[in-house]
Amino acid sequence: MALGKKDKEVERYEKLSPAIVAIYIILILFCIVIMAPLVIVLSSSLREASNMKSPLILFSQFTLSSYITAFRKMNYPMQFLNSFMTTGGSVFAIVCIATMAAYPITRIKRPLSKGLYYFFIAGLVIPAQMVIVPVAQMFGRLHIPNTRFTPMIMFITCSLPFATFLYAGFMKSVPVEIEESAYLDGASLFTRFVKIVFPLLKPATVSTIITQGLWIWNDYFFPMVFVSKSSQYSLPVGMIQFLGDRENPAQWNVLFAACILCALPLIIIFAILQKQFINGIAAGAVKG
Amino acid sequence: MEKKKNNKKNISLVFPNRMYLFAVPALLLFCVFWVFPVLQLFYYSITNFNGINYQYDFVGFKNYITLFREGTMTNSIKNTLIYAVIIVIGSNLLGLCVAMVLNIKIRGKAFFRTCAYVPALFSAIVVGFIWSYVYMPDSGLIASFLTLIGLDGSKFNLLGNYKTALYGIAAVEIWKSFGTTMIIYLAGLQTVDESLLEAGRIDGCNEWQLIKKVKLPLISSTITINVILNVIAGLKAFDYSFIMTNGGPGKSTNTLMFTIYKIAFTDQMMGKASAFSVVSFIVIILITIFMLIFMNKREVEL
Amino acid sequence: MKRKRIGALALTAVLVLSSLTGCSKANDAGSNSTSTSESQATSDSKEESAGEVTKDNITITMMYSGTAAENDFETEILPKLVKEEFPNITLEVTKLPDDQYYTALKTKLASGECPDMILVQPKYAGANSVIGLAKAGYLEPLTGLKAIELAGVAGRESFVYENDVYAVPSGVTMLGTYYNKNIFEENGLSVPTNWDEFLNVCKTLKDAGIQPIVMGDKDMYVMQFGLYQIAANQVYAKNASFDDQLRSGETKFTDEGTWDKVLEMYKSLYDNGYIQTSSLGLGAQQAIQKFVDGEAAMTFDGSFNAAAITAKGAVEFERGYFPLPGNDAGTDLYAAMAMGAGPAIYSGSKYIEECKAILEKWFDGESDIYKAYADSGRFVVTYGYGADKVNPLFQPFIDLYNDGKSFYWCNQGWPAGTETEMEALFSEAIGGQGTSVSDIVNGMQMKFQELYTE
Repeated sequence: MALGKKDKEVERYEKLSPAIVAIYIILILFCIVIMAPLVIVLSSSLREASNMKSPLILFSQFTLSSYITAFRKMNYPMQFLNSFMTTGGSVFAIVCIATMAAYPITRIKRPLSKGLYYFFIAGLVIPAQMVIVPVAQMFGRLHIPNTRFTPMIMFITCSLPFATFLYAGFMKSVPVEIEESAYLDGASLFTRFVKIVFPLLKPATVSTIITQGLWIWNDYFFPMVFVSKSSQYSLPVGMIQFLGDRENPAQWNVLFAACILCALPLIIIFAILQKQFINGIAAGAVKG
Repeated sequence: MEKKKNNKKNISLVFPNRMYLFAVPALLLFCVFWVFPVLQLFYYSITNFNGINYQYDFVGFKNYITLFREGTMTNSIKNTLIYAVIIVIGSNLLGLCVAMVLNIKIRGKAFFRTCAYVPALFSAIVVGFIWSYVYMPDSGLIASFLTLIGLDGSKFNLLGNYKTALYGIAAVEIWKSFGTTMIIYLAGLQTVDESLLEAGRIDGCNEWQLIKKVKLPLISSTITINVILNVIAGLKAFDYSFIMTNGGPGKSTNTLMFTIYKIAFTDQMMGKASAFSVVSFIVIILITIFMLIFMNKREVEL
Repeated sequence: MKRKRIGALALTAVLVLSSLTGCSKANDAGSNSTSTSESQATSDSKEESAGEVTKDNITITMMYSGTAAENDFETEILPKLVKEEFPNITLEVTKLPDDQYYTALKTKLASGECPDMILVQPKYAGANSVIGLAKAGYLEPLTGLKAIELAGVAGRESFVYENDVYAVPSGVTMLGTYYNKNIFEENGLSVPTNWDEFLNVCKTLKDAGIQPIVMGDKDMYVMQFGLYQIAANQVYAKNASFDDQLRSGETKFTDEGTWDKVLEMYKSLYDNGYIQTSSLGLGAQQAIQKFVDGEAAMTFDGSFNAAAITAKGAVEFERGYFPLPGNDAGTDLYAAMAMGAGPAIYSGSKYIEECKAILEKWFDGESDIYKAYADSGRFVVTYGYGADKVNPLFQPFIDLYNDGKSFYWCNQGWPAGTETEMEALFSEAIGGQGTSVSDIVNGMQMKFQELYTE
């Protein structure tokens, strides 16, 4: 039924009144302002690596040589696969672990639950740079070797506070009555969680996948710290290799090409799935 | 008394205490790889550990005393708070406005939505670099534009000026992050029941009153989430001070995290950096809890 | 689902238990002492089997700082050549930019997963300084290696800690002044030989409506490029052991006629508008851009940036390079030249002998690896192949170096962080924040005393 309603809405756009035209003009101007810096990236990435003219001279050259260099030096297919596996695996684990954590926190009305809730939220405010050395020591103490999957531990850990915070917020809006009737029907705790509560949390799951997937995909810090071989690097670490330092001029054109190659999968996914994303979020927020 | 007990018993039948086992995996990961290292940080804060050499000494509260005497602490807390306030206001206002506009049924909505969200997909390093060309004095994007419309573009030097550099990097953060804020608002707005708005219109409300009286109260939980997320992002500000200004000019864009990073990795004083972390951790957590309580209360009132 | 959860539970339980048993302080101290005794043990056993390189197929990892360019020496050429020389050894090289490199190195040392070979900086410079790492026992002594003998006294001195050499000197780099020869000729200017002449050159250019010097002070480290050149003449030419005495407390940054004079001289370039007024908003890269586009006559930079500075810009002109004459009229000119960062071996590595064999080959002065290294032109090599064909741009510097009229970069003598304090305070001074030169030297001295622990 909801679907039918939505289809009708899509067909019925607002008529072209002066107000709507004004909105269009503002939106287009706004998009230009937003996109202008990104045009610089695109234009520079289409130059040769040695063309160091000011990036503000737009589209002075069209060649894919920077892309080819970036693709080859990053070992793109390999690093893409690494990124894909670590991001996917981490997000999957986060969704499982965080929903489980949020369940008792929201359902059991006790000070302990509240305490746990704030305990997790406190983790939200600690940035990784601050604790990285003790964390690294912990890895050493537990003899966790550097592999392509090692950063996942930290991705999951760092995402837990936010995901738990989000799930707890959504779970409050799932009515307790449904579960109570399921309990009376003899459903076990675990069945109730998997079959009833989890499906109702779809919007929160979508938000978690988007927000956490995005930062994990773009994060270079943990892979840089916990991966030792370039063949096991993820895309962002491959990318920062083109970033120069005080004694090594940056290869900006190649870096831009690498950045676009790195963001491309995300842009494609977002462009295709944005409707699902937004409807997914919306569907659950009704109850919130 | 009796009633309360009864009540408790009822709840524990549907939601027994063994449910807490569900939280165990999360709790273990969280404690081992996050809480324990943080506690270790507390411990390092009373040593002169340099981050490399493990033969360090206890120095008591010397690190803390130095921090407060130096004044770097107040400077970076001030910068961080200004930064956070700008981010929260800028990102939420912009995100909410764009979301409101995109919530009207217009053509090309998907395109505009993508445009607004694309900056969020790029890495901070590249964003920082591009924006240093946007801000470049004399011949940068903004300076050239000012010259084009007849203003004196050569005076424009946002990042080189002590008073404006912080606002300059905050603007970049807003540019990059408002798309995410907008998406969350958009989702919130779509949940507003059309029939309530219809009822409001029949009662003779104009658009502005509808927004103020109906839409905003209905999405108050969305506002809470966005504000909290932006506050935390603002308080953790690090990327653009690091990439674009290196804390400069002078120390005018030294945020808490940037200062900690600099003390730990450039000055190699892990002990002092830990003391700094402990203090800023307390500051951030106080602000967040205060915000959380305040926002939750407001939500209920609305 | 259930099974998975139990699995996760069991795993995390094990993790927690092992973490609890390995309690913090005792473990740290303990692991440190064992690691040093371990490294002693390995060096003992090494003496029995000196120079024995395994025949098994092994992978050696190496981490460097820098940018991965096309045909990059360390990430592309070196692994290939090592494979040719040692068919059983695979060399895995990763490169990260400076700041990221420091972070990665520090955390990898903390987790015990450090690569076999790492890049270290001379003396006290940076977070990967040879002295800091050697003191903590992370580096394998390389004294007696042929490559070290070849590098000469100056090279060795840069990497010494308590009588042992811990890294292979990799060649010389220098700080200087790049200038636009065409602009100089058009204005009838020649290369200045002392400070007054230099100021005259700036004045002539300024009067002719040309921006004399462009600097990208938004990246504050570029301030070092000018300051160290002046300091080589004003401080270290007069007292070569200024930094040693600084550590022992005999000298101070606040001593009159030393650093105050250096800062004053450099600041006068800003006060007179010889360095552009918007410098604090301009990045280092953008400053190079402006020089290359012919918008300014000079810029202070290092030999390591020669490729970027000689790249084609908006206008064609000939580049020259001279040591900034910070000397008073009638005194000798000194240049700011230093040993570049060099490779070292992690003391916890399983393949110390193999790493040594690679370094011996790499820096023997004649192997294919050395030739390829010398040809890559990142450093000016001082011996063997390529030592005789220096980039003509660098010749004036090499002459001074051979005459002993050069001084290492000052930050190599200071604990890391001193120079960043100097940069921050100096940018306050030129940014109109009312910071005076005496405030800067006071700040530097305070920072130095805070950072230097012995």
